[in-house]
Amino acid sequence: MSFFKVNFNCNGCLACVHNCPSSALTFKDKDNRRTLLHNMSLCARCGNCWRVCPQDAIQFEGILDGQWQEVTSMDLVACKICGEPLYTVNYQDTLNQKIKNGGEALCPLHRKTLSLEAWAHFAGDTTPQRRAKT
Amino acid sequence: MIVAERKPLEEIIASVSSYRKILVLGCGTCVSVCLTGGDREARHLARQLELSMSERGQPFSCEVATIERQCEGDIVQAYVRVSPDVEAILSTACGAGVQTVAAVYGSLPVIPALNTTFLGASDEPGTWEERCVGCGDCVLAWTAGICPVARCSKQLFNGPCGGSSGGKCEIEGDVDCAWHLILQRLTEIDGLKGSLPMIPPRDWSKERAGGPRMMRKPDKVYAASF
Repeated sequence: MSFFKVNFNCNGCLACVHNCPSSALTFKDKDNRRTLLHNMSLCARCGNCWRVCPQDAIQFEGILDGQWQEVTSMDLVACKICGEPLYTVNYQDTLNQKIKNGGEALCPLHRKTLSLEAWAHFAGDTTPQRRAKT
Repeated sequence: MIVAERKPLEEIIASVSSYRKILVLGCGTCVSVCLTGGDREARHLARQLELSMSERGQPFSCEVATIERQCEGDIVQAYVRVSPDVEAILSTACGAGVQTVAAVYGSLPVIPALNTTFLGASDEPGTWEERCVGCGDCVLAWTAGICPVARCSKQLFNGPCGGSSGGKCEIEGDVDCAWHLILQRLTEIDGLKGSLPMIPPRDWSKERAGGPRMMRKPDKVYAASF
């Protein structure tokens, strides 16, 4: 997916390529086709391409309001009492490497106000959980 | 990078208190990076203003928008949407951005929320220091990459002065003596084998003394190749 978008007015004149101060635009002519290429990591988002385009073909909003892209995804550790997501499993591993017995997975509320009940819960007390005292 | 700091909230409140609805316009580049005027700070400021005005019992609301660069007038004009009932724009950009927005929205008051302070760099997260004053005639080639205009309190070109002590400037605070740093770095580079050049008096007309500066590069704008 490209953040840099052009509409059907684009005629491949290369005004955008020649005027890009960051060399973030280039093209390749191959097999009788011209392909416009954009590199977002080089793009300074200065708008020069949009400014000089004689065809009003560049839809610069794609650069200004691009979509979020997933970078990575990992499992979460949740509070053992209320299920609130706390941190990732990977973070817990790092924590356990740095601190011996990095601590139980408890949210701040339950760590603070329900610690005794939490320990009772872990010890096998199956009575219904009481709400946190605030 | 341009570094700015936010004006005191009371000063901003005094500037916007006569309006019922304003647009808080963030800027997505320099002032975002120095944690002063980006989208996050614009939203935070809007919330603070709404809360303060609500406490005063004044009808007041904010819209918030952020554009990548407020200093690109044509992009601001094309992509910033201002509701018809907005009575003023509160810009969290540097002075260049505020003036660009003011030029675009001729009939709307444009109010700065920041004080633009300096051109700086960050040595550590959350800290920015002045590095350049845009004097127009760079001497860094002779001063080991350390600017005496921006970093010497007296802007000396042939220092250090007698106020340099233990690598620190005589002015209040923990300010490094720029000329101490220059000599230290020149020593690291070549052991100060080359004699320190005497820098002659400068032509300050290239700085602000010659009036507002402008740069034109029409030959760098290429016509469409058709």
